[in-house]
Amino acid sequence: MNDLANKARGISSLRDFLELLEGEGQAITWSERVLPEPDLRNVAVAASRDANGAPAILFDNIAGYPGKRTVVGVHGSWDNIALLLGRPKGTTIRELFFEIAGRWGDAEAQISYVPEGQAPVHECRVESGINLYDILPVYRINEYDGGFFMGKASVASRDPEDPDNFGKQNVGIYRLQVQGPDSFSLMTIPSHDMGRQIMAAERNGLPLKIAVMLGNHPGLAVFAATPIGYEESEYAYASAMMGAPIRLTKSGNGVDILADSEIVIEAEMQLGERVLEGPFGEFPGSYSGVRKAPIFKVTAVSHRRDPIFENIYIGRGWTEHDTLIGLHTSAPIYAQLRKDFPEVTAVNALYQHGLTGIISVKNRMAGFAKTVALRALSTPHGVMYLKNLIMVDADVDPFDLNQVMWALSTRTRADDIIVLPNMPAVPIDPSAVVPGKGHRLIIDATSYLRPDPIGEAHLVSPPTGPDIDALSKAIRLLQQGVAK
Amino acid sequence: MSETLCPRCSSTGAIEDYQGREDNIVVWTIYRCVTCCFSWRDSEPASTIGAGVRSADFAVDAGNLDRYPKILQQ
Repeated sequence: MNDLANKARGISSLRDFLELLEGEGQAITWSERVLPEPDLRNVAVAASRDANGAPAILFDNIAGYPGKRTVVGVHGSWDNIALLLGRPKGTTIRELFFEIAGRWGDAEAQISYVPEGQAPVHECRVESGINLYDILPVYRINEYDGGFFMGKASVASRDPEDPDNFGKQNVGIYRLQVQGPDSFSLMTIPSHDMGRQIMAAERNGLPLKIAVMLGNHPGLAVFAATPIGYEESEYAYASAMMGAPIRLTKSGNGVDILADSEIVIEAEMQLGERVLEGPFGEFPGSYSGVRKAPIFKVTAVSHRRDPIFENIYIGRGWTEHDTLIGLHTSAPIYAQLRKDFPEVTAVNALYQHGLTGIISVKNRMAGFAKTVALRALSTPHGVMYLKNLIMVDADVDPFDLNQVMWALSTRTRADDIIVLPNMPAVPIDPSAVVPGKGHRLIIDATSYLRPDPIGEAHLVSPPTGPDIDALSKAIRLLQQGVAK
Repeated sequence: MSETLCPRCSSTGAIEDYQGREDNIVVWTIYRCVTCCFSWRDSEPASTIGAGVRSADFAVDAGNLDRYPKILQQ
């Protein structure tokens, strides 16, 4: 195993990863004094222009927040994702996809428990006089957000109807709006695990206690945003995929949390209560509306000494949101499709959390790709998110948009398009007919096959394969002035 | 009840939630509107907190809060 892979397996916390990134030139400290607004937003947006190589940026001189630190862009570039996976900077998106797809699963999970008294996250504990503003250097992420949001919080909760079941314990990223010194609202939808748990708690009058983890193991951050089965554990996936143990401990309110998180906020839902939440600049690049969302009362906060508040810039892409979850959205769709259709060769669902997806498939017969597309719509993520699907042949790389455009140009007929009207839709999709309901589009850009009467034109066959991939890399290195 | 006006819904009664201090000097103050739940910092640009400058597209109608849907209804 090479040095980078060993380093990646040795990560157990955000701090470890920042150190690794810094050593590779992929994390910087911004020590010039900044205003919470608009400076933090402006720097984050400027960084996210470089989706391939942007560094994480740690701010340690924020006006009005002396001594506090915040970091953005930890997962803000493909190079940072590559280093998390133990691969060198410059690894292509396609290679990263197959790296993740090859690791997919939770069979090799290694979960260890750290006694609460030894867990770094519990180094400092606040149980009375709680004021979130004392701990979190929050700021307005987009200018018309309804307040100060925690945009990259991993929320852990137990199923209120089956609280002893480890697998049904959910970890997900949900946006949280600070609603005063000791309260916050949480936005979710019924199809998300958290939405399901909130509705179950309110239906049965059961308490719902949660632990909000901020500044986490970078492997968990990607899995908290990944659509896996309800009874599968995000912790187990994160451990198996990182090929390394995950250290857990207990929060003060009995939830399994990461032992090395920077900050953990313990809270309890106020059953049946709602407060106005939003707008929030969301991943489609538009603001969500104002809605009435559940509110949680903070009961305690644990944090490491000199904690780092990790946040994200999200808005019109590319942003950290796209690099954080793009490949981890694509990989489960690929794994789920291949169970039924091993002819699927790759899935690119990088665009706006999969609102547009491109799937390559070995087309068995005329129309087969359309069947695969319909199966994709019934995967857990596809149910709500896969709005536009482009189906291409296996000889087209779905991560190379020039090739995809070639397939669209030369292999698509107008009647190869299917529109499925009035389907479920993500409520924040601005093109929805009404929030939560919209149309789906399938474009079959695969070639014609029997029993289709029209044959494929004879194709030019340029050289492809690992030799050509290696030559492409050699050209890029020479261009950068690096010896081969 | 305070006279502080909410930049989003124009209601009075906003609560002072926090003061950012450096060397015990107040650098900014965070307010929260008890009517529409808008939070803001008084050091923010006028495009976010300035009455008459802020985009009207993002105003909240304090007289008709029923128009905002409740999520996760049974």
